[in-house]
Amino acid sequence: MYDAPTPETRLTQNTTKITARGVQVYYGDKQALKDVNVDILDNTVTAFIGPSGCGKSTFLRCFNRMNDTVASARVQGEILLDGENIYDKRVDPVQLRAKVGMVFQKPNPFPKSIYDNVSYGPKIHGLTRSKTELDQVVEESLRKAALWNEVKDRLNEAGTGLSGGQQQRLCIARAIATSPEVLLMDEPCSALDPIATAQVEELIDELRASFSVVIVTHSMQQAARVSQKTAFFHLGSLVEYGDTSTIFTNPSDPRTESYITGRIG
Amino acid sequence: MPILLLIIVLGVLAIAGFVLGRRRALASVEGNTRRLHSLPNYYAWHGAIMAFLPAIAVLTLWLIAQPLIIERQLSGYFPTEQFENNSQRILLMADVRRVAEGLDVAVAAGALSETDAASLSADGSIRERLAGVGVALGADVTPQVLEASQAYRQLAANGGLWRSVLTLIVAVAGLLYALRITNGDFRARNRVEGVILGVLIMASTIAILTTIGIVLSMLSETIRFASMYPFKDFLFGLTWQPSFQGNSQLGLLPLLWGTLYISLVAMIVAVPTGLFTAIYLAEYASPRVRSIVKPLIEVIAGIPTVVFGLFALVTVGPFLRDWFAVPTGLGSSGSSVMTAGLVIGVLNIPFISSLADDIINAVPQSLRDGSYGLGATKSETVRQVILPAALPGIVGAILLAASRAIGETMIVTMGAGAAAKLDLNPFEAMTTITVKIVSQLTGDTEFNSPETLVAFALGMTLFVITLGLNIFALWVVRKYREQYE
Amino acid sequence: MTDATSANVPASAPVPHASSLLTQTALMKKRNAAETRFKAYGIAAICVSLSVLAVMLWTIFSDGVSAFKQATFTFPVTLDPERLDPKGNRERDEMMRVTTIGYTNLLNQQLVAYLAERDISTEGVDDKDIAAFISRDTPARLRNMVLDNPDLLGQTIRFEGFATGRIDGYIKGRVTRDTAERDTNISVAQLDLADRMIDEGILSAKFNWSFLTAPDASDQRPEAAGLGVAMIGSAYMMFLVVIMVLPLGVAASIYLEEFAPKNRWTDLIEVNISNLAAVPSIVYGILGLAIFINFAKFPQSSPLVGALVLTLMTLPTIIIATRAAIRAVPPSIRDAALGVGASKMQTVFHHVLPLAAPGIMTGTILGLASALGETAPLLLIGMVAFVANYPAGPLDGGMLDPATALPVQVYSWASRSDPAFIERSAGAIIVLLAFLVVMNIVAIVLRRKFERRW
Repeated sequence: MYDAPTPETRLTQNTTKITARGVQVYYGDKQALKDVNVDILDNTVTAFIGPSGCGKSTFLRCFNRMNDTVASARVQGEILLDGENIYDKRVDPVQLRAKVGMVFQKPNPFPKSIYDNVSYGPKIHGLTRSKTELDQVVEESLRKAALWNEVKDRLNEAGTGLSGGQQQRLCIARAIATSPEVLLMDEPCSALDPIATAQVEELIDELRASFSVVIVTHSMQQAARVSQKTAFFHLGSLVEYGDTSTIFTNPSDPRTESYITGRIG
Repeated sequence: MPILLLIIVLGVLAIAGFVLGRRRALASVEGNTRRLHSLPNYYAWHGAIMAFLPAIAVLTLWLIAQPLIIERQLSGYFPTEQFENNSQRILLMADVRRVAEGLDVAVAAGALSETDAASLSADGSIRERLAGVGVALGADVTPQVLEASQAYRQLAANGGLWRSVLTLIVAVAGLLYALRITNGDFRARNRVEGVILGVLIMASTIAILTTIGIVLSMLSETIRFASMYPFKDFLFGLTWQPSFQGNSQLGLLPLLWGTLYISLVAMIVAVPTGLFTAIYLAEYASPRVRSIVKPLIEVIAGIPTVVFGLFALVTVGPFLRDWFAVPTGLGSSGSSVMTAGLVIGVLNIPFISSLADDIINAVPQSLRDGSYGLGATKSETVRQVILPAALPGIVGAILLAASRAIGETMIVTMGAGAAAKLDLNPFEAMTTITVKIVSQLTGDTEFNSPETLVAFALGMTLFVITLGLNIFALWVVRKYREQYE
Repeated sequence: MTDATSANVPASAPVPHASSLLTQTALMKKRNAAETRFKAYGIAAICVSLSVLAVMLWTIFSDGVSAFKQATFTFPVTLDPERLDPKGNRERDEMMRVTTIGYTNLLNQQLVAYLAERDISTEGVDDKDIAAFISRDTPARLRNMVLDNPDLLGQTIRFEGFATGRIDGYIKGRVTRDTAERDTNISVAQLDLADRMIDEGILSAKFNWSFLTAPDASDQRPEAAGLGVAMIGSAYMMFLVVIMVLPLGVAASIYLEEFAPKNRWTDLIEVNISNLAAVPSIVYGILGLAIFINFAKFPQSSPLVGALVLTLMTLPTIIIATRAAIRAVPPSIRDAALGVGASKMQTVFHHVLPLAAPGIMTGTILGLASALGETAPLLLIGMVAFVANYPAGPLDGGMLDPATALPVQVYSWASRSDPAFIERSAGAIIVLLAFLVVMNIVAIVLRRKFERRW
């Protein structure tokens, strides 16, 4: 199954952050992902698109080993983060996830205060030495998530009391508070209304300055708007990977074209 | 006519109603069942119900009302002041009933003729005559009691006759009414279903009736207790010393202290163990381990408490005494707060663990994902995300367990001891509310003494405490469930 | 997006991570250690509960198994007609005049004679001491045997009779020479004689059917005490509980689940049911005593009252289980039945109830199992009383006769002073647990067999 060689499109000056080679994922006996090879670049937004059940979320969850929490899941192949195989026996997934943050489909703030939500990561990873330092990290993260001005007067109120869009930005702030190097986003806007979606999309574009962002999305418009690179998945295989502009205007694989024009999916 | 025979006759009438109702419905449409509103069996059931139900209702009412009315009728035979006094009246009526029953037996055995029984005078021979047919009377029969019981027999016989007549009239009337209104257009199904619905509603109100029964039975006896013993001394008394000669000291506090102390020990055992068990099963165990361990833990909950009681008495008590209490010089008794508390704690482990397991599983997976996604370990996720999220539910579970520990009877009866003490030493024998309820109600004391009636006041106390805990706990759990639904 | 610009604050990680993923930071090691500890607590908690369970079951079994065995004498007894039927006409009424004392003397003499004949004797044991070996229950059994079958008179039969509790305890290891020295009921010399008798095959431990069938016996005769009355009482109660609780529970559940409007009244019922399920069982005993015995004048200690109390006590749990079973029937089934014109009542009785039946049965059996093991409320309605007579048959008003119940028998034996009764108590638990295991297995099989995934 090697139907889509990674296209050697014009590379930006950005360095490669993640390299995936021959990744296969099984859920029990069922193969969910077949032999995927991809290079994810630093300071770039990479979008994974494809019809439901094509394996894009599964692949995303390989990058921070969230699949480990599913008892039946098995991952083969190797994924290198800055040249180190994250599936190496010596790697602690807990330590990995501090470097590779994740934002989920549905906003899932903890039933704690806004402050406690954001400070949770830095606290468990022991990133700060004092309360003032922690305050600083929380403020910085909330500012980066474009939420500071809305919540700065009610940091001690419950995170669950915010609106949907605010909750998702809180989750983004929570994820970036551990200063990860990669930020994974699993359909972060699917539970949001259009206005909140626009805010989050704008935020994603800004986050690119500090992180490598990988986003799974159902919406091709969203992929076109926020990403620089796009990967198209179909039936568990990576069909095509390249610059977003190329994929959307001049796809090389007929399946990509059918999907983009709305004939499959 | 005896009641059993009467009920059998009613049953026969109901069967007649069943057959006739069906036949009449079919006849009214000349056997063409399609012209009937309902299936023929509904007409049959309608006939049966109308013959049986109103009659049995009348019979029930009569059975409840007759003794009350007879009692009032008999008031003329006794001095008013005796009859006004509640407990004396109860005793008198018991005597009357007993003599009347004795006369019945004597007549049935042929030792007395019916006229003899009615005209017998109280000359002392009555005891021997009744003893001759196997009826033992406690005290000598006073003339008043004898006259009253003769009148009682007369009234009861009359009542029995009228009871049968009225019941049968109602049954036949119901049957005729059912037959009269039965025709093809009659909506028998709706009527029958209405009756079934009524029965269903009655069944569902049993729960309410039980509660009312509990409250009323304990309340009335508690009030009687309060009329014999100062209630303030009961609530705040520091000494529990019942004595059969009177002058008992019946203070609640030592019992309450024992109860709470033992429950505290039990909760100290059960809460951490139960919680960690639940956490391990819900978050760590593989499905295989879970499927084996969870039922095994629940086996504990299925074992009768009397088994735990014997375990406390035979094994735990002597073990604690020989290895802890005696070496440390803290006590020399096998029965102790520790013994009962530890065993109740073990009994409560599966209760807490299965409730907490449910509650932890109700915490949405997305919260776990969020925490793992941030790089938290499992234990950090459990401690900082799952437990805080599940806290209200877990508090509810703990309160329910506490209420069980407080109400537990057999283990404390067999393992805690019988001495009412206000002591801090956990290796001392102490006693609880439940132990004293059992001992006061299974002894041979007279029922109308404060020493016996105090058991009802203790029961009331226990009921109020546990009900309060339960209502609060269930409310907390319910609120918690709604949050994640 | 008022603060959009602030997002351009340069990313300054407060403390840089360890650069490599392949090495664990010191903090990570600490965190992982905490993780391991936490997990170990969980395993420890489970081990504690399960090992207590194991210890409990083990002690009870090892204490109780011996209750099924009983030290028994086997020796020839010549039933002398002169003594047992002085008038010689084999009339039952005449023979009844010979009391158990007559039989006791007969047995004692024959045992002494038999031992003398076999030349079994021990220093310091006189005839009276030998006679003390025989349980006081044994002559009564021989008497009943003879009364039932007068033809035995004049014959020499191989008679099996129980030894007293102390001898029984000696054979089972409960009584030792050390304890005998301090015991006024038995002497060391008697134990020596017992050893001789065991060697000669006169005394041996045999399986004790009468433990399962005999009624309770007094404090003095632990060897004769049996579970017969308790088992009949429990059986009567379970029978009555089933026929009361099942219709009531199902009817109430159907109403609450299918017909009840959502209003304050049904809310009250619901809250009530869940609270009643958590009321201490002894409160039901008080209710039973006050309502059924003191008010309605039902006979004390009777299975009927016990069953009424247990019914009220189990009803809430049964209702909760039944409602869950009814709720598990998918609404599509109801829609289908209503769609072809069935009335609501027909839908429930023809479709929902049969589909929910396995679940209801499972819940009911489990409820019954807990009722079977319940003790506290039965104490209050007098079932703890000493009952030495079997209740009458179920159709002869046996439900109103005094009886005990298995768990109550466990309690009342446990509270007697002679340690022989502790063994009986543990033996009774074995019987009780056997019934519970069977009930639970039936429930599990039912659930496995009929479990449906919609």
